Amino acid sequence: MARTAAGRGSLMSSPEHRLRKKYWSSGNSLAAFWIPGMILVGIIALALLVIAVPVFQNPGYLAGAASDPMVFQAFFVTFLAGFCAVGILAITGTPLAYALSRSDTPWKGIVETLVDIPLVLPHTVAGLMVYLLFMSRGLLGAPFGGIGLTFEDAFPGIVAAMVFVAIPYYVNAVREGFGRVPVQLENVARSLGASRARAFITVSLPLTTRHILYGALLAWGRAIGEFAAVIMIAYFPVVISTLIYYRFNTGGIAESQAIAFILILLCLVLFFVFRFLTRRAGVYDDRS
Amino acid sequence: MMIAVEGVSLTRGDFSFAGISLQVPESSYAVLMGPSGAGKTLLLESIGGFLQVTGGRILVGGRDVTMLPPEKRGIGFMYQDYSLFPHLTVEENIAYGLKMKGISSRERTSTVNTLLSSFSLQPLAQRHTGSLSGGEKQRVALARALATRPSALLLDEPFAALDPEARLSCMDEVKALQREHGLTILQVSHDRDEAYRLADQVMVMDKGRILQAGTPAAVFSCPVHPTIAALAGFENMLEGISGAASEGGRTLLSIGTTGIIAEGAVPAGERILACIRSRDIMLAGADISRSEQVNRIEGQVISMVATDHGCQVRFAGPFPLLIDIPGNWSSWEYRPGERVVALVDPEDVHLIRLSKRPGEEGNVP
Repeated sequence: MARTAAGRGSLMSSPEHRLRKKYWSSGNSLAAFWIPGMILVGIIALALLVIAVPVFQNPGYLAGAASDPMVFQAFFVTFLAGFCAVGILAITGTPLAYALSRSDTPWKGIVETLVDIPLVLPHTVAGLMVYLLFMSRGLLGAPFGGIGLTFEDAFPGIVAAMVFVAIPYYVNAVREGFGRVPVQLENVARSLGASRARAFITVSLPLTTRHILYGALLAWGRAIGEFAAVIMIAYFPVVISTLIYYRFNTGGIAESQAIAFILILLCLVLFFVFRFLTRRAGVYDDRS
Repeated sequence: MMIAVEGVSLTRGDFSFAGISLQVPESSYAVLMGPSGAGKTLLLESIGGFLQVTGGRILVGGRDVTMLPPEKRGIGFMYQDYSLFPHLTVEENIAYGLKMKGISSRERTSTVNTLLSSFSLQPLAQRHTGSLSGGEKQRVALARALATRPSALLLDEPFAALDPEARLSCMDEVKALQREHGLTILQVSHDRDEAYRLADQVMVMDKGRILQAGTPAAVFSCPVHPTIAALAGFENMLEGISGAASEGGRTLLSIGTTGIIAEGAVPAGERILACIRSRDIMLAGADISRSEQVNRIEGQVISMVATDHGCQVRFAGPFPLLIDIPGNWSSWEYRPGERVVALVDPEDVHLIRLSKRPGEEGNVP
């Protein structure tokens, strides 16, 4: 131990260490950027603490929430609806993102603005729009009702609301990805015999993998966190944000804190696993 | 197969060309040159089918491909950066076109192996393309383009990204391939050496028009347009007005307050551009005796810069000149500020008739 400490001491005073210290103290440090940035990180950390600390002080609430079938069902509905929303966005949003990245039509600006609308609307307004569109007498709700698909207070309603609010997150991320694929690659693919569709599938799509995955993650996160738009079309089946709000009003802070803590924990695990599994996706350099 | 472009027009944003025509005979190598923004790549992309032309016809081997999508034209295309697919290995890149054309897996493997072997790419077969050198990338791109046996190849500055040594060997490889396979190649280039080394035919394009076409020697020795003269390496271009032609077929040009005698007869009173290569001008001391056989321009050395072959002198006289002096410049007897005489043989002055209307310039016989 003594030898280690001595070794460390000699390292700290070594010429290399002194040079490194001089280098960072002579204006090369990132401290000026880290300090203001850490205000934001600190706020997030504190927000997590105010949820987590009381939960650990009263573990009974956590145990109660974890074993509550209603909580389990709300999580199941939320996550499943989130996955369905991302699936719909992947099928419809990916071609839209590609068309926007490659098109030079004068109408493109209008389409881009429409795509961004859910981003700037208050969530209640988004909910109202979804409700008016998908209610049983709505423009889309009525014909879908004719084939037996109802949205009001039903699972499809949750998915519809989630899709609506997550559109810009997915489409913008994926469009940026397609924009980074040089059109020359597609041209060469076509000169080699690929149709436009095959060039898209075999060249552009694989090269946009990272952006598609990132867009999906953003959209999923946005979707499962939606509250206002969801409750306006489908209060039931209860999603997790609705349940937290309900428990906050009826069971108090401690009960809602425990559910919120589980949600945060699950999301952290899911985000971490997702990032770990996709860390090599879309990286094609032998050197890295 | 022969490539023929007949009166093709295209508009792309602010740029357009109209009525362009050119021909690349079967199994020949043509180089399309021109300054940046001349429309060379756009023309190449139009022939490749990536851009929809607004008029005219494009024929490949006599077949009208104007309305066909790129995949149906049978033309290989190679960009300056080679545009290799970064998500595929070298082997997969070469096999891509064969796969798209529905070639069986067995035949595909055989063709790819042959190409890997003939392009010395076997050790790199399983590598992704991001870590390859410029020369390796070029070989992969060529192998990929040739795998589908295209009728013609369009190359957009394929040697521009290579270092000088790799460039020369790659050029020789491409030329050998072209001869071996009887390929018809149309290549865009900025480089005169590439044209001399590769081209059977050079076409010079500027502002959406083909200005001149011919063998490299013919185009570069007798440019008909100032743009071509610049490409051909005439560093000195002096505008003047032609006087009466002498009996010997020589013309006296008035340039500012002085005159230059040039070989060739031109009608009097025309706007003429006298083009002189820097290497065709000699420098002498101010006390050199007069001769009627050469142009004598008095002036001063402004600056001297060492080059591979000697030194380059900036000369200020009645008009500025750039002069290349062979030999070791440090042992040269003149220095900046010294008064000297520039000597130019009238045969080394190439004349281009200028017109008020752009594009109607023509050389003097």
